[in-house]
Amino acid sequence: MLRLTEYEEGVLAGKEGRLKQVSLQNIVRYAKILGAAELCEVTKATVFCGAHNYLDVCRSEDIDEVFSRMNLAVEESIPFDRTYGNSYIQSCVSPCDQDEHEPFGQSPEFFAKNALYLEQARKAGVIIIGSCAPYLTGWLPVRGEHFVTTESSVTLMGNSLWGAMGNSDGIEAAFWSAICGRTPKWGNHVEENRAGTHLVEVQAEIDGILEFDLLGRAIGMRLPSGAVPVISGRFGSVTFQKLRQLFTSLAVSSNCEMSHVVGHTPEARTVEDAFRGREPAGTLMIDERAMVESYQAACDPGAGEIDLVSLGCPHYDIDQIKRVAVYLEGRRVHPGVHFMVWTAYPIKAMADLNGYTRIIEEAGGHIYTGSCPCTIGPTFLDKYSGCVFDSVKQAVAVKSETARAVYLGDLQRCIDAAVAGRWEEEHRWPRSR
Amino acid sequence: MAAITLRGCGVVAGVVEGEALVCPTSIQGWGGIDPATGVIKEHGHVNRGVSIKGRILVLPGSRGSNGWSCYFGAANVAGAGPLGMVVTRIDSSVGVAAAVMQVATVVDFASNQDPCRLIATGDRVRVDGGSGVVEIVKVAATPGTDARGQEAAEKRSLGPQNALGGAIRRPRSRT
Repeated sequence: MLRLTEYEEGVLAGKEGRLKQVSLQNIVRYAKILGAAELCEVTKATVFCGAHNYLDVCRSEDIDEVFSRMNLAVEESIPFDRTYGNSYIQSCVSPCDQDEHEPFGQSPEFFAKNALYLEQARKAGVIIIGSCAPYLTGWLPVRGEHFVTTESSVTLMGNSLWGAMGNSDGIEAAFWSAICGRTPKWGNHVEENRAGTHLVEVQAEIDGILEFDLLGRAIGMRLPSGAVPVISGRFGSVTFQKLRQLFTSLAVSSNCEMSHVVGHTPEARTVEDAFRGREPAGTLMIDERAMVESYQAACDPGAGEIDLVSLGCPHYDIDQIKRVAVYLEGRRVHPGVHFMVWTAYPIKAMADLNGYTRIIEEAGGHIYTGSCPCTIGPTFLDKYSGCVFDSVKQAVAVKSETARAVYLGDLQRCIDAAVAGRWEEEHRWPRSR
Repeated sequence: MAAITLRGCGVVAGVVEGEALVCPTSIQGWGGIDPATGVIKEHGHVNRGVSIKGRILVLPGSRGSNGWSCYFGAANVAGAGPLGMVVTRIDSSVGVAAAVMQVATVVDFASNQDPCRLIATGDRVRVDGGSGVVEIVKVAATPGTDARGQEAAEKRSLGPQNALGGAIRRPRSRT
């Protein structure tokens, strides 16, 4: 039986308008499906704004109708004109760069349509950031804070690294919560569900960012549904950049929403700490062979001509952009290659300030903001015959969108390929160590 | 042969009967399906090229991006959504997809009643989203053998358990 507060009953009765009423009705339906006993207040949210490709099925140019049918799941037209006042709400990626459309083969009309969607969200109270890495701009839920997010890696980071509480939910539910300020108190919103369930013994040597990325996929592809892995291994240096790459590929290859990394995440000072005294339901071993399989599943075999190199999934921080500039300085991107680095808008401003943008542009590359290749979609990707990425998530997602060659490497090997205009056997992991 | 009956938890009411589409590794979120047609696009997926449209979708849970439910919701809007869903263990993304699509859905089966193991693609399945009863009313032939019906079903029911102990059950407070 779902218990509701007086405030929630009032919202359901329509005291705060139709938008909030429908949003809470959806949250209540969702809570009953999950079997939640109560709701909890959401004080951090990211939402998925923009004229995204999947919305095309609605076959309508009426922005309110599209929002209502696709995000609120109702046939009536309800304007998206407000959000919950007590939440810090910012936008995730949209299908457009924040400034340019021509480099992506998008029409001015489509760019304007996307801008209209973003402007509607801004007026409703969403801070337009356009990033899958909301933490780069200060969106950081703390321990015990209930959050919703449209970015799967942020669900894992929020729960695992910051001790905050969130589920993967979905794009529709993130809007519902951002509007009515509630989510079902279920799953990771309940303290006792955060204990580890499965031990992951990592026997492979893991050090570089790409290796943490491959490790996430290797674990995710073997993890039972609903598991909370406790990852234990002798890693090289562990940094935020590495952990976020681990969580990103783990998230996209499983339904994992929380993971402990022994010695590095706060609820896993030891293995026993992470399991909270319970016995593991199973044990996974990740050896070098599993890592190689993980790489081979995300990187096409052989060598070949390439014409797209994209870095920054999740969006790069300023340190990663600096590393691109330092490695690229004095070199030239092959004239046939579109070399792009993706980040959040304020980070691009910092790259401008530090001179990194100038170095990258003088080399023939670009820094873009607000989106990424797989979010822009097939209309953009179909223009290219060979793509190189520094992220398992991007490589795997793009592979489902295109029959073209897709290669995966670390930052340096991706830049080497961009300069050469070719992906070579020698760029492949693990030779790139 | 007698119908094989599985019992889970009905979370979206409605009774539907149709052909099962079993995806033992689920379907990747964000771009795993083409929402206009319901066709599975995921690279390397066992059912790549097959549409979820009008099928009883049998999944262990969700997989991948938080942009999971929206693709099923979009397929539903396009008239290319599934007829019903049978899910080994509910998770938050499945919960949202069920809330949005409002098709008959049964979740949370006992470990010896895993629908991903006991139902095969092509089986005719009746799903009662109210009572939580899922019936395999007609078993599809097992490719490569003469075995049909009961024999095929018995073979499945004797299959090995997941070495890692299967999916994890979340505490439920349903009344």
